[in-house]
This record gives sequence, C-alpha cells and structure tokens, in this order.
Amino acid sequence: MASPSSSSFWSIASRQAMNSGLFITKLYCFLHVTTNYLGFMAYAYGPSMIPTLHPSGNVLLAERISKRYQKPSRGDIVVIRSPENPNKTPIKRVIGIEGDCISFVVDPLKSEKSQTIVVPKGHVFVQGDYTHNSRDSRTFGPVPYGLIQGRMLWRVWPFQDFGPLGPTPSELTN
Amino acid sequence: MRTRVLSFLNQWRGTAKEAFENVSIVAKFLCLLHVTDRYIISSTHVQGPSMLPTLNLTGDVILAEHLSHRFGKIGLGDVVLVRSPRDPNRMVTKRILGLEGDRLTFSADPLVGDCSVSVVIPKGHVWIQGDNLYASTDSRHFGPIPYSLIEGKALLRVWPPEYFGSLR
Repeated sequence: MASPSSSSFWSIASRQAMNSGLFITKLYCFLHVTTNYLGFMAYAYGPSMIPTLHPSGNVLLAERISKRYQKPSRGDIVVIRSPENPNKTPIKRVIGIEGDCISFVVDPLKSEKSQTIVVPKGHVFVQGDYTHNSRDSRTFGPVPYGLIQGRMLWRVWPFQDFGPLGPTPSELTN
Repeated sequence: MRTRVLSFLNQWRGTAKEAFENVSIVAKFLCLLHVTDRYIISSTHVQGPSMLPTLNLTGDVILAEHLSHRFGKIGLGDVVLVRSPRDPNRMVTKRILGLEGDRLTFSADPLVGDCSVSVVIPKGHVWIQGDNLYASTDSRHFGPIPYSLIEGKALLRVWPPEYFGSLR
C-alpha cells in the first residue's frame, strides 16, 4: 500500500520540478537575449557625470542595438568596459570619434595645462561631464569601439528627471 | 454550410498549433546552439600569415573556448581570439606575450635592424604578438590592448586533419 503511492508521489514531484526548471531556463534565456542584444537597465552613481547624472544614483535605460549598425556619435552617453579594470563598467560621454583632434585640460584641479591628441582609427575619446572628478580618456587614453557596451537612452529614476538623455550636459531639475 | 466553414477553420487551427510547436522546438534548439557557441565553445576559421608556423597560411579551423577569459585564467603563451582595436568588426588570433605590469623589450622593425623599444604594460592590458614577426600587425604596432577585448582562447586545431591536435 505504501510503496505504489510513494513512487507516484516522487514521479509527480520530479515531473513538476522538471517543468519548473524548464520554465526558469526559458525565462533566463529570454532575459539573456534581451539584455545582451536589445537593451538593459543600469544603475549609475558617482560624481563624474554631474550635472547630467545624480551622484547618488540614477536608474537608466541603455540600448545595445545602435552599436552594431553604426559608429557612436559625439554627445552619446555610453557604458564602456574600463581599459584599466575589466570588471568595471564606467559611464561617460563620447567627446570625439576617430580622426578628431581633441584639446583637453589634463587635470583641471592641478593646473591649466592642456594637451591635444588625434583620436586613432577605431577608437573614441570619452570624458565625464564633471571634468574635475572623472577618470576618463584624459587618463587612460582613447577607448577602442570593442569596449563600448551600450548607449544610454533614457533616465527612469529619480522621477523628477524622467526623460531622455540629450547630447549636451543637461541641468537636473532640483 | 456554416458547420462546413467551422470544421474547415478547426482543421486549420490544429495545423497551426502543430506548426507553432515545431517552430518553438527549433527556436529552443537554436537558442541552445547560440549560447553554447558564444559562451562555452565554438569553432572558428582562421587564416593569414601572422601566426606561421603555428597556424597555416591557407586557413585552419580551431576550437576556441569562451570561459577562461571571464575568470581571468588567460596566461602567457596562450593563443587567443581578440577583437581588433583598429576595426571592431574583425577578430584576430595572436599569442599573449605579456601581462599587466610586465616590462617587454622588442625590436620595432625586425626587417630593418636592432632598434629595440622597451615598454611596461599598463594595468588592465595585455601584449599580443603574432608568431610570425615579419608579417604580423600586433601590439608592436598598436600598443598593449585592454584585457576586455579578449573573446576566447584557442584549444585545439580540428582541420586540416593531418594537423589535428593542440597548438604548439
């Protein structure tokens, strides 16, 4: 009496577990394809993009479609994989594309000394909007296109600043 | 008359449901293939003179795995697949000859003379070089590349069959 009912219980339980496992796999697959090929949400914090982004945190929507079909353009806010530390993904603005001649102040906190470089082929020059506290291409040089992960489209949170992110540094509403 | 139309539509509903199920099976299989090819192991056709004598000029098919670079297990002497810093749509195959912090001395132009240059590889970068120094565009020309541009590590060669085996 005990044996047939326990075996059917286990078979039902294992079938349920397999169904749930399959569903989770399909859901994960769908999420993976969406975040790797369409777009993803990013939480951005830090002082390097003041006044465009809050230092204490913003939730942004980024897309990965445009980087496949066209080159990044000046003014785009992009997520890059840091050339100094492959585990970090800073968010900066594209100031110059390949072939541009960029003049920038190397360290505004220390001196007014400026430097001029030509951006090599296949690279972009990225810079934070708050140049006094930003580690960007002025420090680690122009970044190859292959390191760009996505382009920021829209800010979702804080809600007072909900809206698109434009090509020039923009003021926050408070 | 109406019952005939209804029965005709019911027939189509059955076929449509079957078709949808078959398509979803194919889609799931393609999904699995894609994930394996991109994140676990894939086969690549490589050609060009820059890795002679290790890789043939006319083209080889090699198996590359995409797991080691995510865990930082790429070491000196590995043959890796790298996204070119000059053209993001091209993948190149080269050997790693220096990791971050190493000091490298190389001859700037091996055809001309012994004018040698010494560099220290910055943090987060690696030095890639082709085995055929005379016909390879590599870190001697475009400098050390960021580690994140590495996309895979070559495991073994599967074609041509007489050269089957690990790359040495």
